[in-house]
Amino acid sequence: MAELQKDPITRSDFIGFTVFGGLIGAALTIPPIAFLLHPVIDVDVLGETDVDQEYQEVGPISEVPADEPVVFNVDFPIRQIYGDEEIQDLSGQGEGSGTTLTNAVWLSWRTETDEDGHAGESFRPEWLDETTEGLTPEQISEAEENLNILSNSCAHLGCPVRWVLIEGEGEFLCPCHGGIYDINGGYVAGPPPRDMYRYVDYEVRENGRLYIRHEYDAGSEYPENGPQQPYVV
Amino acid sequence: MGMIGRVRSQTADASKFVVDWMEHRTGIVTLTEHFLYEPVPKRGAWLYTLGSATLFLITLQFLTGILLLFYYVPSIEDAWNSVYYIQEEAYFGALIRGIHYWSANFLLAVIGLHMAQVFFSGGYKAPRELNWVVGVILLLLVIVLAFTGYLLRWDQDGFWASVVGMKIGSYTPFVGGATIHFLLGGDVVGPATLSRFFALHVWLLPAALAPFIGIHLYLLRRHGVFGSEFEYTERLAKLHENQRLEEYARYELDEGEEEYEDGENGYGDDYGDRGDYEDRRS
Ligand code: HEM
Ligand code: FES
Repeated sequence: MAELQKDPITRSDFIGFTVFGGLIGAALTIPPIAFLLHPVIDVDVLGETDVDQEYQEVGPISEVPADEPVVFNVDFPIRQIYGDEEIQDLSGQGEGSGTTLTNAVWLSWRTETDEDGHAGESFRPEWLDETTEGLTPEQISEAEENLNILSNSCAHLGCPVRWVLIEGEGEFLCPCHGGIYDINGGYVAGPPPRDMYRYVDYEVRENGRLYIRHEYDAGSEYPENGPQQPYVV
Repeated sequence: MGMIGRVRSQTADASKFVVDWMEHRTGIVTLTEHFLYEPVPKRGAWLYTLGSATLFLITLQFLTGILLLFYYVPSIEDAWNSVYYIQEEAYFGALIRGIHYWSANFLLAVIGLHMAQVFFSGGYKAPRELNWVVGVILLLLVIVLAFTGYLLRWDQDGFWASVVGMKIGSYTPFVGGATIHFLLGGDVVGPATLSRFFALHVWLLPAALAPFIGIHLYLLRRHGVFGSEFEYTERLAKLHENQRLEEYARYELDEGEEEYEDGENGYGDDYGDRGDYEDRRS
């Protein structure tokens, strides 16, 4: 090695090279890396989300019967790369025609279950048979307490779960690896590590309809990953 | 000399001139010879075609992939429709897309077989370790290519397979969240996700694949395939040399025989114990 070193480098040369090289290196690497990591910085560092934080309508809660969940498709407006609302408006892509994220939301009434997931008594409010609109504050809070608002994205790896009837009994079954949940979204069997994800930010309004925001009970397992848990839905 | 004969000799002269001209300026003839001819071992010769089969399928992927790009539209509104157009309306679209799809599947199988051949023949040993490392990089690149390609169809199959794949990635310790948000281009699947997968599938990964294929082939040529003729000759020579030395040593030992009497079975005094141990196990 030593023979290769024809010109000895002085200390000030060395500092010069380091500083100059460092600056050039930074100028060449930081812009492209920051360019690529923009979404990571937005989400993981700044805690931002692409999803509009307004409440979106799910549907009338009276449509959900006592012993069976019902699925509703909810479109959440998102702002990802074609982001600018003003430009979208000007180009005629106004509200309602922008990019959305569709979630399939399963609604069911809280139901007593034994350990094997067999369903017992349902807590569906009886007044729902006559009253579907103009709910009183008491009725609203009773409905809010007893609704299960579940994401169809399996808690294992995110496949869409569906409700199936097997020998007259219903369960949520995941098509990918056979995860099974009961009518409340509680874990019964298979690879999922937990219960189904629940929407935690919701309100039943006077008109008898449910409204939700795109936010889940992430559980305490991965608190460092921000509010949009699970990652992909 | 007849007409035909004259034409023939003139053509021969002309082509010789062109070839010489090119050789003189580019060395292309020598290079071609160098690249085309390579001694390979006689035994198991077919197994040595697995690497070429891999290269062939990757070439097919590049060619059909570039063709698909003439119709494929990488946006969430149009992706599925454009794939449908390729499949149903473009002339030979089903063929081109079919080749891209099936060749991607076979590619992974053939790479596996190729690796198995190198592994079981011991072809990864010195001085070819680095080529094994480069091979592993190629394998990973191809796996990610297959993963990113699948989302481009933007149908239920590709979509959910990618969601599951990304969720598997999200369990990576420490960087899981960042990885997933990097791939998604945000925190949910959307237009950015498709753009990113497209950029990876069509630009970044093929561009990364090409130089590693070059290094792989260069290293292959530098060391020859494992077990090639000269290597065998060299090894055989070494083997014979060793045998000769052993023979010689044995001959020398004959004279001092007494010293080695009780080592006859080659296992020494412990042999009895070993037998017992095996009895106990059975
Ligand atoms: C080792 C290399 C590659 C692998 C393993 C691979 C794999 C795949 C796979 C599995 C798909 C989904 C096909 C389908 O299900 O229909 C796909 C789609 C696609 N690939 Fe590739 N690919 C490779 C290289 C390339 C290259 C080099 C290009 C272009 C430069 C390319 C362009 C495309 C395009 C445009 C599509 C979307 C059209 C479609 O889905 O049929 N691919 N690729
Ligand atoms: S994704 Fe539902 S069980 Fe695996």
